[in-house]
Amino acid sequence: MSAADPSAAVPPPAPFPLDASGRVHPSAQTRAAAFLLCAHGTLATRLAPTVLGPVHTAGQVVLHGAYWREMEICSLLSRATSWTFDAALPFLTPRWEAAFLPAPVRPGGTLVEDQMIDLSAFGHAVYGGIRPATLLPPKADPTDPFALALGMLEFESSRLIQGQIAVLKSPALASRRPAVVAAVEFRLTQIRTLWNEACADF
Amino acid sequence: MPYIAHADHRVFYEIEGPADGAVYVMVNGLTQYASLWRPYVAALTAGGFRVATFDLLGQGHSDKPALFISQDDQVEILRALVAEFAGRPVFLAGISFGGLIALRYATRYPQTLTGLVAMSTFAELPPQLQLIGAALRNGLVLGGISYLQDLLLPMNLSDAWLGAHMADLDAIKRPGWLNNDVYALQNLMESFIGFTPLTPDLPQITVPTLILNGEFDFLTPRPLHETLRRGIPDSALVIVPRAYHAFTLERPGLTAMLLRKFAGEVAAGSFVGGGSIWIAPETDNGEVIAFPAGFDPMRALPVAPSTPLPAMPPLAASTS
Repeated sequence: MSAADPSAAVPPPAPFPLDASGRVHPSAQTRAAAFLLCAHGTLATRLAPTVLGPVHTAGQVVLHGAYWREMEICSLLSRATSWTFDAALPFLTPRWEAAFLPAPVRPGGTLVEDQMIDLSAFGHAVYGGIRPATLLPPKADPTDPFALALGMLEFESSRLIQGQIAVLKSPALASRRPAVVAAVEFRLTQIRTLWNEACADF
Repeated sequence: MPYIAHADHRVFYEIEGPADGAVYVMVNGLTQYASLWRPYVAALTAGGFRVATFDLLGQGHSDKPALFISQDDQVEILRALVAEFAGRPVFLAGISFGGLIALRYATRYPQTLTGLVAMSTFAELPPQLQLIGAALRNGLVLGGISYLQDLLLPMNLSDAWLGAHMADLDAIKRPGWLNNDVYALQNLMESFIGFTPLTPDLPQITVPTLILNGEFDFLTPRPLHETLRRGIPDSALVIVPRAYHAFTLERPGLTAMLLRKFAGEVAAGSFVGGGSIWIAPETDNGEVIAFPAGFDPMRALPVAPSTPLPAMPPLAASTS
């Protein structure tokens, strides 16, 4: 019955280090924010074409809201972070961006359907697979703008993931369930691994 | 950490206590996690029991399937865990959602159990519970885990307990907030889509069954436990005085005593089932007394029952 402990190759990150004033250390802020901006920026970029035309369907209403939430998240993170020099970022960000490019889905549907599955799987992983706010130590300064931004991200994620869940669980994709589940599990593993690696230095 | 392998998933579990003891397997409620049973592990192992705790699929340290979790999978995981103790007396105890999983398991595999303890649980989804469940799901979706906890804490715990812990509530909530994920809890809640009542299957639970219901539990009130009492042939309902839905968290000493007592009575052949109704003591070491004749256990007012109660031992007689 018992399987050996199959802990992930990259262990979950430790809590964010705090400076003397109780704020998340700028080096940790910089690394975490860079990753999150990369992920949420990818979502915003991939959602942007969906808000160009008039809104005719219920799905477009959801996408319209998701795009602007992503813009808000990116704007807030970029302004609430205490940025500092991080020599690893020039190497890490291209790796993240390459990983976040559209990924193939198991064959069986149209190209548009595959893109929808991958985008939804990616969003599900970003909103549900990582929870940066849980890395805030209990003693973190609750008025720290970076901590507040992560709190806002945690709060919004439970709402934003609903759009992805609605798509991924939709009856329209029922016949492609194995492909959908595989896509989501792939993105979850990918995002968690990259996030854990990004935060490994803390 | 040890894991049960189930399909492509891993389920975290822990086993403590003497290797030759009777076994208690504890099943978590929806937002719980295995380590919340620590007081029970301490109390039961001290009493010679071996105790197994685990996180359901979608909880705590167990895998959290991204899109779907079926209650059948939870039952099969439980089957794998119980199979570890084949040949030994196994008592299965579940609270709330975990109680439902335990009931579901007991309807299918009663031969693997020596006894069942169903706490703050249900076999049906009447309109109140269905609508409260839907509202809690919406609360989770709109406000996240923290908001769900904010709803559940005052609903499920007494003023006395909350008042004593007001200053510590954030710290009390934090492990649950850290251990659970929105999408996984949502999947557990949505495992009720297509739910069919277990009531017709309850007579298949042939083992002695202790049903525990808090006096003031309004999430799963008395009628839901009455369904269990009437459906499970060898059952006894024990009403826990002044208790709400989460009395296992609030009164671990009392509840562990009731679990030890139940297992002891089953082992001794002195368990009084047959749909009998009892009242747990106010203190951890008090006597369990028979529900008084002439009153309706379904009512808060002291009125006579509309249907006859089962024959009971004399008032104030202990079940031991």
